[in-house]
Amino acid sequence: MSNKLISVSKLKKSFGGLKAVDVDELSFEEGELTSIIGPNGAGKTTFFDLISGFQNSDSGEIYLKEKNISNSQPYKIARMGMVRTFQLTKVFDRMTVMENLLFSGSDVSNESFVKSIIKSRSQKSYENDLKQKASEIMDDLNISHMSNAYARELSGGQKKLLELARSIINEPEILLLDEPLAGVNPKLAEDILALIKKLSDSGITILMVEHNIEAVMKISNRIVVLAEGSLIADGNPNQIREDKNVIEAYLGKDDE
Amino acid sequence: MTEKISKRVIFAFVITSLSIYLVFVLNPDGALRILLNLLTFAGIYGLSAIGLNVHFGWTGLLNFGHASFMGVGAYVTLLLMPHAAGREGEVTSTGLPFLVALIIGIMSAALFGLLLGLPAIRLRGDYLAIVTIAAAEIFRLLVRDLESITGGVYGIINYTENFQQYRPMFIDKFSESNAFSPSQAWVCLAAWVSILLTVLFLKRLNNSPWGRALRAVREDEDAVRAMGKNAVWLKLQSFMLGAGIAGLSGVLLAFNYGSLETTVFVPLLTFYVWAIMILGGVGSITGPIFGSILFWVIISETDRLAYLLFENANGQQLAGVRFLLVGLLIMLLMIFRPSGLLGKKEELLLDVK
Repeated sequence: MSNKLISVSKLKKSFGGLKAVDVDELSFEEGELTSIIGPNGAGKTTFFDLISGFQNSDSGEIYLKEKNISNSQPYKIARMGMVRTFQLTKVFDRMTVMENLLFSGSDVSNESFVKSIIKSRSQKSYENDLKQKASEIMDDLNISHMSNAYARELSGGQKKLLELARSIINEPEILLLDEPLAGVNPKLAEDILALIKKLSDSGITILMVEHNIEAVMKISNRIVVLAEGSLIADGNPNQIREDKNVIEAYLGKDDE
Repeated sequence: MTEKISKRVIFAFVITSLSIYLVFVLNPDGALRILLNLLTFAGIYGLSAIGLNVHFGWTGLLNFGHASFMGVGAYVTLLLMPHAAGREGEVTSTGLPFLVALIIGIMSAALFGLLLGLPAIRLRGDYLAIVTIAAAEIFRLLVRDLESITGGVYGIINYTENFQQYRPMFIDKFSESNAFSPSQAWVCLAAWVSILLTVLFLKRLNNSPWGRALRAVREDEDAVRAMGKNAVWLKLQSFMLGAGIAGLSGVLLAFNYGSLETTVFVPLLTFYVWAIMILGGVGSITGPIFGSILFWVIISETDRLAYLLFENANGQQLAGVRFLLVGLLIMLLMIFRPSGLLGKKEELLLDVK
């Protein structure tokens, strides 16, 4: 129990008659790099939405660091150290890359209205430190040359990078990555994958939804397979590769 | 980049100066008096548009109830000072001094923004627009019906002295030599000083972490939440600030009119302010100032222009042509400068999500 960072029990969510998520028992341990895979419509993104608070579950419980966060506000969950990215990349289009990072890295108290009027020295030095931190992350991700470009001028892959940079600037404990490789060219995908591996090695717990099976097999410690909202397999990459239920779910019953 | 900005500023200055020059061309007699009236309205409406820009330009909130914020500011301030109200002109001879009443009025407008925002601000885009326009109408009808307090349709009178008593001597002298109304000159000066102070205040905020957070909300609320920020609270703060600025402009409007009636705060007022903000440039702090002057030149001089174009037309026909010209000029501006006089093309904000 002690190192279970996230655990859910009897989590249910349906849209009308459509069962999106129905997971009995599932937990993730500290430091794991877990991939969640499954056919389209398996409820992977909905599962992310539920644990990050962007959607409310119909029933069931979600625990983050042994605290019940079922139906908590997304921003409160994020403040507990669990940060997510989105399937359709959400960057702040009409802000520069730098501003994107500064906003994301800034503490809430730094953004207080009163402090912003007074423009205290402490705020200035905080902002300078933040800029330093943002520059370092941009260097790491090779996007420092676009620092002053509007985010909407970036390519799809660069936006994915920016979103990643934005999620790690606050040093989260848990990262939820929703299709970090979707629509990214092979070279950049390689880079992003290496980055995810590096983040995982540095101790961040990572949950990732991804369709690129090859990549998933390569870097995950553990793979969770969902189909029609339910858990059908859970294990390390080798176990999953051989799992009959998984092959069935992906290829259909009578094929082979 | 800096070169581009300065080009835009020069263009804004040129077109605004040209429009002021037009006033002199079209009015051989009494041009200065017309200009004073025009600049007073331009100052007041421009200030209101600056407040609206905090809502829409900075935070992306579609507020179509701006007139009610102006109204709350005006009514609270006037009712706290000595005034006369209602059908009988019932006199209230005691009250707070002007500055105290003004501050309470502005704070009330901000508070009204908070109260309206609490239930409504979670709505996105056009839904917020619908709620705010309805709330503004409810406010107006309520003020009209609460006749015993607000004077209802008969309005409020005899309050201007609260403000005019502070009028400095030089305004009287200046007005006398130019045949101005000294009281309007004083309101005009107050309006432009208010604009100056508000612009300085907002410039300070715009580049601050707070301003940056508002822009992030404008771009993507979900991403703001995912970064651990309370988007609702940020939107409420923006709503309150913009509403407070609108409240101040409402007070100035009341002093410019000399008597206050509920009909001032019809939705048309909101739409005028929107037009000014769009002309000036959405997202630009100083844009609404230029937009407002241009807008009021167009509004006030088009009847002269229509008269010159169609000498034999009667008053009714001229009134029709006039609004045709207003529409045409605004359309032309939007075609050739879709981001307004000072708006950045990169931040063109008319594509509402």
